[in-house]
Amino acid sequence: MSQTPSDATRQIESAQPPRGGTPDQSLSLSLRRTFAIARNAFREAVRDRVLYNLVLFVLLLIGGAIFLGELSAGQEAKIIVDLSLSAMLLFGVFIAIFVGVGLVYKEIERRTLYAILSKPISRGQFLLGKYLGLCATLFVNVLIMGLGVSLALVYIHRGWDPLVVNIWPAILLIYFELAIITGVALLFSSFSTPALSALLTFFVFIIGHFSADLKALANSGSSARFVFRALYYLLPNLTNYSAIAAASHGTVPDATSVLLAIAYAIVYSAVLLAAASLIFGRRNFK
Amino acid sequence: MKRSLLLISILIAGLGASVALAHVMDARRVADQDQSDETLYVSGPTAKRLALGFNGLAADWYWMRSLQYVGRKIVHFEDTHDARVSFSALGDLDLGQLASLLKASTTLDPQFMAPYEYGAMILPEINSDQAIDLLNYGIAANPNEWRLYQHLGYVYWQRHDYQKASELYTAGGKLAGAPPWMLAMGAHMKAEGGSRNSAREMYRHLYDSSHDKAVQDMVEKQMMRLDWLDDREIIRHVIAVYKEKNGRCPASWLEISGQLGEARMMSAPNSARGLKMDATGAPLDPSGVAYWLEDCDVDLGKDTQIPRR
Repeated sequence: MSQTPSDATRQIESAQPPRGGTPDQSLSLSLRRTFAIARNAFREAVRDRVLYNLVLFVLLLIGGAIFLGELSAGQEAKIIVDLSLSAMLLFGVFIAIFVGVGLVYKEIERRTLYAILSKPISRGQFLLGKYLGLCATLFVNVLIMGLGVSLALVYIHRGWDPLVVNIWPAILLIYFELAIITGVALLFSSFSTPALSALLTFFVFIIGHFSADLKALANSGSSARFVFRALYYLLPNLTNYSAIAAASHGTVPDATSVLLAIAYAIVYSAVLLAAASLIFGRRNFK
Repeated sequence: MKRSLLLISILIAGLGASVALAHVMDARRVADQDQSDETLYVSGPTAKRLALGFNGLAADWYWMRSLQYVGRKIVHFEDTHDARVSFSALGDLDLGQLASLLKASTTLDPQFMAPYEYGAMILPEINSDQAIDLLNYGIAANPNEWRLYQHLGYVYWQRHDYQKASELYTAGGKLAGAPPWMLAMGAHMKAEGGSRNSAREMYRHLYDSSHDKAVQDMVEKQMMRLDWLDDREIIRHVIAVYKEKNGRCPASWLEISGQLGEARMMSAPNSARGLKMDATGAPLDPSGVAYWLEDCDVDLGKDTQIPRR
């Protein structure tokens, strides 16, 4: 099922401003319109059967729980956590990339964008709504997967295990890494084709995990060190979100690191959305 | 209709041909298969860099590959030799890649304890320097993990370097969370590192602190070996007394079963078990197999589970 123009526009129309409203009312209406777009993007993702990946995830967990104990010489809890959180990240990255790059493109392709933008909603609000909608989809995805992993751990230990709780900070960091990737996908899709956007976003995901090397190159005596330094700060530093291996040992990252990583994700996503809005706002759809 | 029949024929013939080809390829693979090690093209640090945040999963993969590597070598050995692989024969298995695999796993996930423990048990049979390298790396990455000191101490103990083993047990025993016996082991090792009592004590703690079934099995067998050494002393003493009295060696266990029975009552002051005998008077080793009497000496039976070293 694809989104119809009426789905998106009806909700925006229901958030029409009263004549002569105060600035507070205007802000509230602006938020309501953005959330209407977000709600719609979420529904669209659900209709596109994006959450079907959960079935595959559950199968992976069951298979892992049953077979890995035999293969890993008693390390099944660690391997279940590694396998499931890695799958959570990988599936999440695929969703963020492939759904993210299509968010804007599909609206343009189906010409539903014209109907939406003819309503009192800015292009920036439209992008923000789309972004929040996909973030909500990813949130539901990650939440259900996290609960699944916790249940699998309870099953393996035949009862309570501290890992059940200790994995959640790592899951939170995975979610914020996915939020950054979604922002990157949205930025590229604001000016490029879906295929190229997907490729570029995937490259950013890879380079984001090489940020330690970029920093080492930036600190080297190389003549290109300024380029590497610029790249290091310009590209997202995704190594700060890699807490899967530590989580599998029950190690919980300290609260300051988690909060800083969340703050970085919010700030970096805001920058990405601002850049995307800037580019998208200048695009001519005639 | 004709077209459909043609397509179905192609489908069936194609499937049949692909199955036949797969058989031929499988047969060739078995014939070509040798047990030479495939090279590890990706070192641990490179693998860590390429893992893109999936380094925990990659470490698990290297860990399971290590287990399968050893398992495959054992199966191959048992297929080609008419004997089971004992712990002491691990050196004959050509496990040249094991150290690299374990190192890759621990480089990818330095907190992963299972490869260190496995390496401490298996690698000394191949090359104890590799075991020491692996465990030193582990201690550098996890300086507060007392178990790694215990494992490294064990490796040095096997090299008969009791001074170093004692230092490691003492250093590990001073860490937060370390059990009190670590310090006691340090002192014990310094005083009588080469004694059977020290060995028994160390194996008991290794058994208690390990969660790995393979390690526990190995430790159990080593403890049985210590019991066999105790038994051997008793039996040799009984045989020597018999020979002195009768001027000849006993021809069968029956001839000395009475003395062995007496010895059983007061035997093995250092061992938790006494000397057990079967209905024919033959003494049994700790795995329940009758000892072998030959030329005034005792040896392990053919079917014994006890490693010779």
